[in-house]
Amino acid sequence: MSGNFKSLLFALILCIVCSLLLTGASSGLRPWQERNALTDRHRNVLRAAGLLEEGRSYSAAEVERLYRERIRELQVDPAGRILERTDSPKDAAGLPIYLSVEGEEIIGYIVPIDSRGLWGPIQGYLALDRDGATVKGFAVYQHAETPGLGGEIEKRWFRDNWVGKKIVTREGRFVSVGIAKGRAEETVPKEKQLNYVDGISGATLTGKYLAAGIKDTLSRYEPVSVKFRKNLLTELGLPSPAASN
Amino acid sequence: MNTVVAKPWAAVKRTVAYKEVIKALWKANPISKQILGICSALAVTVQMQTAVAMGLALTTVVAFSSLIVSLLRASIPRNIRIIVQVAVIATLVIIADELLKAFLYDVSKQLSVFVGLIVTNCIVLGRTEAYAMNNPPGRAFLDGLANGLGYTSVLVGVAFLRELFGSGRVLGYPVIPEAFYQAGYVNNGLLVLAPGAFIMIGLFVWLEHTLLERK
Repeated sequence: MSGNFKSLLFALILCIVCSLLLTGASSGLRPWQERNALTDRHRNVLRAAGLLEEGRSYSAAEVERLYRERIRELQVDPAGRILERTDSPKDAAGLPIYLSVEGEEIIGYIVPIDSRGLWGPIQGYLALDRDGATVKGFAVYQHAETPGLGGEIEKRWFRDNWVGKKIVTREGRFVSVGIAKGRAEETVPKEKQLNYVDGISGATLTGKYLAAGIKDTLSRYEPVSVKFRKNLLTELGLPSPAASN
Repeated sequence: MNTVVAKPWAAVKRTVAYKEVIKALWKANPISKQILGICSALAVTVQMQTAVAMGLALTTVVAFSSLIVSLLRASIPRNIRIIVQVAVIATLVIIADELLKAFLYDVSKQLSVFVGLIVTNCIVLGRTEAYAMNNPPGRAFLDGLANGLGYTSVLVGVAFLRELFGSGRVLGYPVIPEAFYQAGYVNNGLLVLAPGAFIMIGLFVWLEHTLLERK
């Protein structure tokens, strides 16, 4: 009996000590973790927009400064109209959108991607040019794909792959950007190559889910993209870029 | 000259600690001799960078869990010792993960789920149960460290070959000249996939057994 009592007592003390340590670590480190996560998201917005130099590392302070200078956060409703700034950023009706600006001029917009992946959600950003059709960049900040396989989605070669692709066909019909099985040059007919990026070998499913997630996101943002395509930025309530084309 | 160096070395060689370290690093290497920790060895060896980070994270956890279990070994009740060991290991792993997220965010993102999976790695529980429960803290810590490094060395070896022949890179930098590809050289796609890891680890096991037998 006394042996069992001792075991129980030991287990109880151990549990209390462990839970105190874990609670301490979790709540004590949370401010740092949240700041890291936010900076990481900002870093990836900038990266998608092509505002970060590749191969150079930016400190957290540099990222925040660049983000304040070059990015504007907005919310739009499903019809593509700008919503009044609400207190809660997670307004159910609003779709978040980021504008990349150069001085007072809008040079493009960035939409957040929230896609299914093979092992868990894939979250990132897709930047589009102000023509509403050309992809300017792609970046992922959160995923659980296998390193070396699906995990390649965060690598430079895969991200660079997106630059210059079109989310519309030559006729101007919205199709989103697909992910080819292997190299797009070899597996996709020539007329569709502008709408496909190279896939990752060994990660066909990741590509499939991510392409579906991006298509879903872009179709929700299509009203906004249409306004950009028709150069109706004034209707968005923003200063129209100086004479385009 | 040689004798001066050799004497303290010979003294070190006779210590228990030295023998234990050599055993963990080579004669009873966790992966290639004991065939432990294969699951993570398959998963994180596609690239060297993740293999190194994972090896270091595991080494830290084994060393400190061995130390803590060894310190507590006199008071741990025998009948719940495995539970106690797992609780200690799990706590350390979660703390390590939280620390990585707070101060080495980029590394923690690369390792993603694998840090959490250290809990299930048989090497850690194996060392605490087989060694730390019966040995003083200093030696237990050293044993944990040596086993972690033994694991890391095989991981890095496998990752080096898989990355080199699977994607033509070392530590993420392309090393195979473009001319090779133009002459018809192709990266071996099999090595990037899990079966490639099985074959590689099998070759390492073979190598170690052959070398040990020859002595």
